[in-house]
Amino acid sequence: MEPILKVEHVDKAFGGVIAAENVSFEILPGQIMGLIGPNGAGKTTTLNLISGIYSCDKGEIYINGKNVTKLPAHTRARMGLARTFQSPRFLQRSSIRENLMLGLDLADQIGYISSFFGKKRSDFDTELSELMGMAGFTVNWDADIQSLPYGQRKLLEIVRALLTHPKIMLVDEPAAGLNSKELMRVLEMLQFAAKKGVGIVVIEHQMDFVMGISDFVTVLNFGKLLSQGTPEQVSSDPAVIEAYLGRDIDAEN
Amino acid sequence: MKTKKITGGKITLFLACAAFAVGIPAICNPYQMTVVNSALIYFVAALGISIMLGMCGQMSFAAISFMGMGAYCATQLSKTLGMPTLMALVLSAVFTALMSLWIGALLFRLSGGYFTFATIGLVYICSSLFLNLKPLTGGANGIVGIPDLNLFGYNLDSLYKWFFFLFAVCILCGLFVERIRRTSLGRSMASVRDNELAAKSLGVNCYQVKIISFVIAGTLAGLAGGLIAFHNGTVSTALFSFQIATNFVIMVMLGGVNSTVGTFLGTFLVTLMPEVLSPLADYLRLIQGVLIILMMIFMPTGLAGIGQMLLSKAQKRLANKFSKKKTASQEVGQ
Repeated sequence: MEPILKVEHVDKAFGGVIAAENVSFEILPGQIMGLIGPNGAGKTTTLNLISGIYSCDKGEIYINGKNVTKLPAHTRARMGLARTFQSPRFLQRSSIRENLMLGLDLADQIGYISSFFGKKRSDFDTELSELMGMAGFTVNWDADIQSLPYGQRKLLEIVRALLTHPKIMLVDEPAAGLNSKELMRVLEMLQFAAKKGVGIVVIEHQMDFVMGISDFVTVLNFGKLLSQGTPEQVSSDPAVIEAYLGRDIDAEN
Repeated sequence: MKTKKITGGKITLFLACAAFAVGIPAICNPYQMTVVNSALIYFVAALGISIMLGMCGQMSFAAISFMGMGAYCATQLSKTLGMPTLMALVLSAVFTALMSLWIGALLFRLSGGYFTFATIGLVYICSSLFLNLKPLTGGANGIVGIPDLNLFGYNLDSLYKWFFFLFAVCILCGLFVERIRRTSLGRSMASVRDNELAAKSLGVNCYQVKIISFVIAGTLAGLAGGLIAFHNGTVSTALFSFQIATNFVIMVMLGGVNSTVGTFLGTFLVTLMPEVLSPLADYLRLIQGVLIILMMIFMPTGLAGIGQMLLSKAQKRLANKFSKKKTASQEVGQ
């Protein structure tokens, strides 16, 4: 099977700070990859490089076999790359409906002029109610997005990403700030997406979550690839343990 | 998620429009009609700013420059080249659309405040050109004797006829803007305004969307320019100064930056204020300035915000009364 996302020897430096160095991985359709590492390891930078917010200094990125290294972020999004952010990014001054419609616009790609003359997709409601069923709460569509509690906003961002009919999802710390119930909902939604063949990259600090959901895990440290493998392999890798917990001084002596 | 209801707000708006169309010509003398008509023309251009600033979050002073281009273009096409006036009006709007496409593509290489500053530069360049390109603009003396606008054989030769025509144009432009707000273009603009990073990751080409908003604003301003040339019968550089450019922004800010009705109210407030306050003419700027600061502190959503608040309060009160009556009658029934 062709990988849906391929990252090849990617480098990125900000001034003298190396944020990513020789990072490589591949994801097949339906695979979930956990991307972990201590704070400042370059995880979010890597997502930004994939989604095109930053441009790579070196290396190549392929979506669905196509080299996208030079393409702008919005083109990559239109090729089926969806992402969520560490703290959810919405249109603060718009209603929940409009925020979600934005995801729909991306999936539809109807064009501004056709949209002006009233063209729209009809199956929006069924799809949305299915997704909201998984998200496990209902909202007043006309309410302000800011009226929602943080956890629901995070879930809604995943719903919006799914509404775009993505091929790849980049999910940045979905578990941060969620209660265990909401966490289950995130898990369910990501597994639902993977079942549909979406390739997923999840950054997460909560180890139970990321080890539970991932097919394989990539560990970064100081921008470099530290380890890669199944959750079991990675969590027993001494280099990973050292990066996370530090070296045991007693053991050295 | 469909909502196509006739709401109280819509009915109120319709009635207000009807009352305006009937009432204004009935109570206004010819001089006052001139003021009202120019307010209607300014509204068309101010709508463009409302799109740029309110929907797309881009602060631009350029409307006045495009208004000037539209005015001089319409004048030259009709007066010098003898083109039918309606055709000249449409072509001048097309001309400003092309100009704004070109200038927008250039200026939106800059972002945020830098873009705003560049539009100020544009205003200065254009007002200098208007003043000095005498063969095209008549220089400081301007151009007089512009023919009346002729709509398929119907001559707009009185202020009252103009009023109805302009009001219809305003309503069409207003509906156009409201339609945009509800389509994917409106949502893309809102995403550019609120969060460019999110916009990009949702497939919105921010550069393109900004240019589209700039072109729409430029076209509306160009249309307003053509209208003012035909309406006044004269054009002069004084109409297209930086002073007027700031007025536009004040209109939109006072009215409510993201509201068509608010922009309408703001336009009238700013246009009528010098007339109403003519005894205090020396202090006009002072009063305007204080008003702006007070509004921004206490009511940042402008007149539209105040209107909305009052309307929802009235609705609540009505609903309360109604439900009280209902429970009372139910109790009686039991």
